[in-house]
Amino acid sequence: MRLFSGQRAWLLQRLTAVLLLVACLAGLAALIFTPGFGYAQWKAFFSDGHGATLTVVCYIAICLHAWVGARDIILDYVPATAPRLALLSLVAVLLLATSVRLALLLAAQFMR
Amino acid sequence: MHLQIYRYCPDNGLPPRMQEYRIEPEPGDRKLLDILIRIKAVDDSLSFRRSCREGICGSDAMNINGRNGLACLTPIEGLHEPVVIRPLPGLPVVRDLVVDMTLFFAHYSAIKPYLINTEPPPERERLQTPEQRECLDGLYECILCACCSTFCPSFWWNPDKFLGPAALLQAYRFIVDSRDRATAERLDYLDDVYRLYRCRTIMNCTEVCPKGLSPSHAIEQIRQALLVRSL
Repeated sequence: MRLFSGQRAWLLQRLTAVLLLVACLAGLAALIFTPGFGYAQWKAFFSDGHGATLTVVCYIAICLHAWVGARDIILDYVPATAPRLALLSLVAVLLLATSVRLALLLAAQFMR
Repeated sequence: MHLQIYRYCPDNGLPPRMQEYRIEPEPGDRKLLDILIRIKAVDDSLSFRRSCREGICGSDAMNINGRNGLACLTPIEGLHEPVVIRPLPGLPVVRDLVVDMTLFFAHYSAIKPYLINTEPPPERERLQTPEQRECLDGLYECILCACCSTFCPSFWWNPDKFLGPAALLQAYRFIVDSRDRATAERLDYLDDVYRLYRCRTIMNCTEVCPKGLSPSHAIEQIRQALLVRSL
């Protein structure tokens, strides 16, 4: 698997963008059209199996989208190999760390 | 007419500078190239390329008031003064307005800008239907002036790896040609994070093309061809 693929990354960025757009619109619609939608409802949503799964899917999409975007910026602006690898690694670690944090938070909901 | 022209001569060891020129257009002068030729008559140290003087050869591409264009197609009427003329951005300057286009033509060469067809040739020519021929419109007219590639930020960032809009437009010209049989190989070559996918659809290429072509559309078509192939 090539680290710097062309078409696969391009396609991934667009597919995740569509998924995230739909998720954003659905979330916005829930906020606007559900009266009294507040903390309790959000908590219930994340505690629900479907809600948690949807959140994880959306977060994976955000991570993939952000990875391709950040990678593009770094490839454009950081030509030297060492700082480029350092920055790419930093982005990867940040995205992985936030994913683990999210997974732990959601898991904690079900442990209670 | 007031002009400021970029001057640089590697032989004298001096840094580049902008030189002021004031010249009165003659009644027959219509285009910027006419004025440059008049300047050349009084200052023969000024270097620039020009050949056909009618927008076919693409030699006199330069940056005119911050925008790439052909001097021979740029009317002097309505030009904001002082007219600031610089060499094409993003390529090494050989002297004054003359740039080194080696890299540009290396990218052009890399896309194999010729028909590849190993089938036995027919008795006469390889025929196309009018519809197949129409697919080449908007592509074959490219004169390789480099106005598009050198006005593309993606090309400035990765000039050695990103093929640039001109080469990609030419690549699509052969991909879409019904007589060519190397589409798969051409697409394989282009499916690369640098060669094709450095394009950020900024569309400066389409904006400045002096022939009114749309390299960004051609690039989009290549991406679509790659997508269809992968499905």
